[in-house]
Amino acid sequence: MIYSFWMYDRHCECIYSRDWHRSAAHEDKEDLQKLIYGSVFSLRNITRKLSDDDAFLSFQTSKYKLHFFESPSNLKLVLITDPMMSDACNALRQIYAGLYVEYVVKNPLSPIEHPRGTGVDNDLFNMGLDSFVRSLQGFA
Amino acid sequence: MSKVRSVGEEVWKHKTDKINSELLTLTYGSIVAQLVADFDHDYAKVNKQLDKMGYNIGLRLIEELLAKTGLPRCQNFRDTAEAVAKVGFKMFMNITPTISNWSVDSKQFSLVFTENPLAEFVELPDKPNARDLWYSNIYAGVIRGALEMVQLQVEAEFVSDAVQDPSLPTEIRVRLVKVLEDEIPPGED
Repeated sequence: MIYSFWMYDRHCECIYSRDWHRSAAHEDKEDLQKLIYGSVFSLRNITRKLSDDDAFLSFQTSKYKLHFFESPSNLKLVLITDPMMSDACNALRQIYAGLYVEYVVKNPLSPIEHPRGTGVDNDLFNMGLDSFVRSLQGFA
Repeated sequence: MSKVRSVGEEVWKHKTDKINSELLTLTYGSIVAQLVADFDHDYAKVNKQLDKMGYNIGLRLIEELLAKTGLPRCQNFRDTAEAVAKVGFKMFMNITPTISNWSVDSKQFSLVFTENPLAEFVELPDKPNARDLWYSNIYAGVIRGALEMVQLQVEAEFVSDAVQDPSLPTEIRVRLVKVLEDEIPPGED
């Protein structure tokens, strides 16, 4: 089961988020968004300290699993799923290379810096992401 | 670092959409000519504008490079130079500038171009100050923009250009200013 997807830019700004199977627990979205960033940020820093230039891939609790991918340009992608889900880092990499770069970065009308937190607002990206995530094994 | 070179070759061969190089040359030429007209032959302003355009392009090009190559983060500035010359320039321009003139502290290097697709057929106008124009200055901006996205603040500028004086090489000097720290989220109020 895939719950949600989050994307953060190099300025720690959440530039995209999307829910599929909403769990009752997240009411305050803004708060959740900051907490996710905080935990991902610290975990990734610990991992880098412990072994050179490494990044963590996922962590899980009894209720959910958080998958993480970061590009060398510090774009961070997070997918939250149920704990049974197998590693989705590859899927996140595909979202970065196949969807974000193709539809957002290569689209001159789509900003890549989001100074006032407008975020990514692009139909092709929305639709591509939705159909890609729905096609992943273990979506429903 | 022949691995980096083969990554560049591979991406160029199989993963890049190609356009006619003369189309690019002529399009770029008309942009520069238009800027020269707009700024009324104030070449310092033209250089600056080309650099700015390049910077905005670089911010985006780097993502395409990272997505298509899957290259990991560079360990040092020498790796970065290799990646710029052998992957970046290769995959977008199909040229591989030579890396030379490393400074002792490994923070500065030069890219020397034996060929430059942007400057084919170019003759500078017959004006005394036309030598102030760095015709291909967009490269400098692209390098600066692209490296900033991977946390390297650099300065890039032309030192000499064969368009100005055919006896000189086309050379861009790249200086590492600093490695940018990761930004940290603002604290809770």
